[in-house]
Amino acid sequence: MSLNNLLSVKNLTVEFQTSEGIIRAVNNISFDIPQGKTIGIVGESGSGKSVTSLAVMGLLQKPAARIPSGEIYFNGQDLLKLNEQQMRAIRGNDISMIFQEPMTSLNPVFKVGEQISEALRVHKNLSKKEAWEKAVHLMNQVGIPNPSSSAHKYPHEMSGGQKQRVMIAMAISCDPKLLIADEPTTALDVTIQKQVLELLQKLQQEYKMSMMFITHDLGVIGDIADDVVVMYRSNVVEKNHAQTIFHSATHPYTKGLLACRPKLGANPRRLLTVSDFMTESGEEKIVPVERVQVFDKEQEVKSESQILLEVDQLVTQFPIKGGLFGRTVDHFKAVDGVSFKLKKGQTLGLVGESGCGKTTLGRSILRLVEPSAGKIIYDGKDITHVYHEELRQLRKKMQIIFQDPYSSLNPRMTITDILTEPLNIHKVGANKNERFDMARELIEKVGLKSNHMSRYPHEFSGGQRQRICIARALMLRPEFVICDESVSALDVSIQAQVLNLLLDLQQEFGLTYIFISHDLSVVNFIADEVGVMYAGKIIEMDKASRIYKNAKEEYTRSLLSAIPKGLARETRP
Amino acid sequence: MNKNSLWKDAFYRLAQDKLALISILIVFLYFFVALFSGLGWIASNWSQEVGASNLAPSFDHLLGTDIFGRSVLQKVIRGTQVAMSVGAAAALIAIPIGVILGALAGYFGGWIDDFVTWLYTTFSSVPNIMLLISITLILGKGIFSVYVALGATSWVNLCRLIRGEVLKHKEREYVQAAGAIGGGHMRKLFRHILPNVSHIVIINTSMQFQTAIKSEVILSYLGLGVQGEPSWGTMIDDAKLELVRGVWWQLAGATLAMFFILLAFNILGDALRDALDPKLKGK
Repeated sequence: MSLNNLLSVKNLTVEFQTSEGIIRAVNNISFDIPQGKTIGIVGESGSGKSVTSLAVMGLLQKPAARIPSGEIYFNGQDLLKLNEQQMRAIRGNDISMIFQEPMTSLNPVFKVGEQISEALRVHKNLSKKEAWEKAVHLMNQVGIPNPSSSAHKYPHEMSGGQKQRVMIAMAISCDPKLLIADEPTTALDVTIQKQVLELLQKLQQEYKMSMMFITHDLGVIGDIADDVVVMYRSNVVEKNHAQTIFHSATHPYTKGLLACRPKLGANPRRLLTVSDFMTESGEEKIVPVERVQVFDKEQEVKSESQILLEVDQLVTQFPIKGGLFGRTVDHFKAVDGVSFKLKKGQTLGLVGESGCGKTTLGRSILRLVEPSAGKIIYDGKDITHVYHEELRQLRKKMQIIFQDPYSSLNPRMTITDILTEPLNIHKVGANKNERFDMARELIEKVGLKSNHMSRYPHEFSGGQRQRICIARALMLRPEFVICDESVSALDVSIQAQVLNLLLDLQQEFGLTYIFISHDLSVVNFIADEVGVMYAGKIIEMDKASRIYKNAKEEYTRSLLSAIPKGLARETRP
Repeated sequence: MNKNSLWKDAFYRLAQDKLALISILIVFLYFFVALFSGLGWIASNWSQEVGASNLAPSFDHLLGTDIFGRSVLQKVIRGTQVAMSVGAAAALIAIPIGVILGALAGYFGGWIDDFVTWLYTTFSSVPNIMLLISITLILGKGIFSVYVALGATSWVNLCRLIRGEVLKHKEREYVQAAGAIGGGHMRKLFRHILPNVSHIVIINTSMQFQTAIKSEVILSYLGLGVQGEPSWGTMIDDAKLELVRGVWWQLAGATLAMFFILLAFNILGDALRDALDPKLKGK
């Protein structure tokens, strides 16, 4: 073990005892974190990256988890040999951790200043007043405006990005030598993500910490990591300098991960996925040349088609209740005068940060939320004020795919029930068998096996569930589908597969999409036209290929610059 | 075919809990005793003299005899029939009221919610025992009024729980998805939301059952319950005067019978909650 390694993991294996037998979550992995460096651990969900970090923190759930072999040296001391009390002295003091979800990691009934000072009082034995002053100082350092007054705020009074900053302030409060960040930016908007990444990088240099940065997205890590460890199915498949990984990855899985994230410029017609680079059993495959070929959307001539959807000055507002009797005191305009036209067979992408009204716009067009003013014209017919049977008939033609594949399927229904329900409602198909056959046909189209149809949603992974949602939306053979952040909850490698599927289905059924996302690179890949939303308005709208080349609005440019480049930064001196 | 539903999962979890299995066994035992007694197969001659007055428990009379020389064991069995029927009747009345009001209030909101909330807060603001006593006084004594009184008071808790759960579930995306494919209110509420909150009904019923049994005993003890039939409550009431003469077996029989069924329902309720709602485990 070389002396300048702060953390050194050697041949670590972690196993879980479950009712189905022993599952090996981490298989014989080794890596080092040198003093003052950042290493990124990349892998999809279930690859063992979070288990590794929990093992380092000594937070594995015992006795379900056990470590049959391996050593974790921290500062020359084997952490696995320490007892719980010795471990507690290290945890939060020498090693601290930031979690993915800032919304639930803070205690809602305490002021944020109190929560930061609590750690200081426990570990550093500071008085109440000293701890509070230090907390304010820390909040200043993590870039929270007006730290002395912000310390008196409760978590719900802060935005997601600010809460994550508070979490970072807590994590660095005891000058840790090692900071573990487990997907710290996954729940944040791109612009906030960029700020948080820059902050972490700044703090790391100031405090001379080492950092272990865990993510499923190789693109994020490029800006921040010195070394990268790639994990796949419990194993480390590749580790190297970030530069080397990004420019000449050797393992097919790493190549797949690098390729599957859509780029801002030209992309291949269908995104490359991990399965293009390696077989199921993990052997390398030769990628066919035509798969890699990029194509320029502007060159593509789509035959001129008629306008399917026209939205004119649409406004959707929600009442703000207030006063003693809960009267409506004001209205909040979630969608504020939006107009656009969408041609048949085309895809309109809507981008914007959370709270900009893009989701409400989608729901208003489908009349799942009642618009307050303006017009929606679908296929030449004003649908703003149709009700009952007419609205039901409309549901056949317009569908929606939701963001969260976990909550959008009824857990008490089998896949067959879920898929045949729309047919039952609209009395499509003569009998049960015919409906079942129709469901089976679609489930195979979206890439699942028909013998899975008697299963329940919880038996599927996130990507598979999203495929089921897609199949349900297509059961009635709609013409128009709104995809509301439909790939945001998925790992990048799964995201590429689902995007490809959406494009295949669009080609096959001649679908028209509105694709809502906070991720400009995804929208740029899938959409023909892009609308950028800000505070309920579409502030800029243009061909997808043009918007990233010459965006007119300052806001669009800031969104663009916040996207992780998927490239390693220049090596620091 | 892989039919691995959430209900089946819950069943397996329950089957692994030995204490829960014993509780289920006890509940079934009481149920069949009550059923056979109701059919007149056992303890139908409870009102007949079987021996001298106040005989201590012996091999001939397992729980002894009461002041009229009637078998205490047979009275306990008749009391079981009364207790179980009260529990079942209260549940039969309370579940439909609680589920329907709770579901409608949670789903539709607005004035329906205001009305239902007003109704159950009013009910729950009056102490339960006062409400029970006043209902039985209005309807007159007898087992039928006990049924109605308990049914009318025990829907409140269930209604409150169902309303809260429906409120939570109606915002879920799967309910919105049902709307997006053209499903109406009734489909969303009854096909999608209710199956997802139905475990609450089961857990709550098992808890409510024991409350009903306890309430029946209290009402009968106060002389407001069943008339002309033995009940655990009236037996305990009788024991008040007998104890000074050292006649303890009537009290022991009634309280032990009550103790085991209440304990069984208590354990079963906890086990059901753990099995059906794993998120709550350990809380």
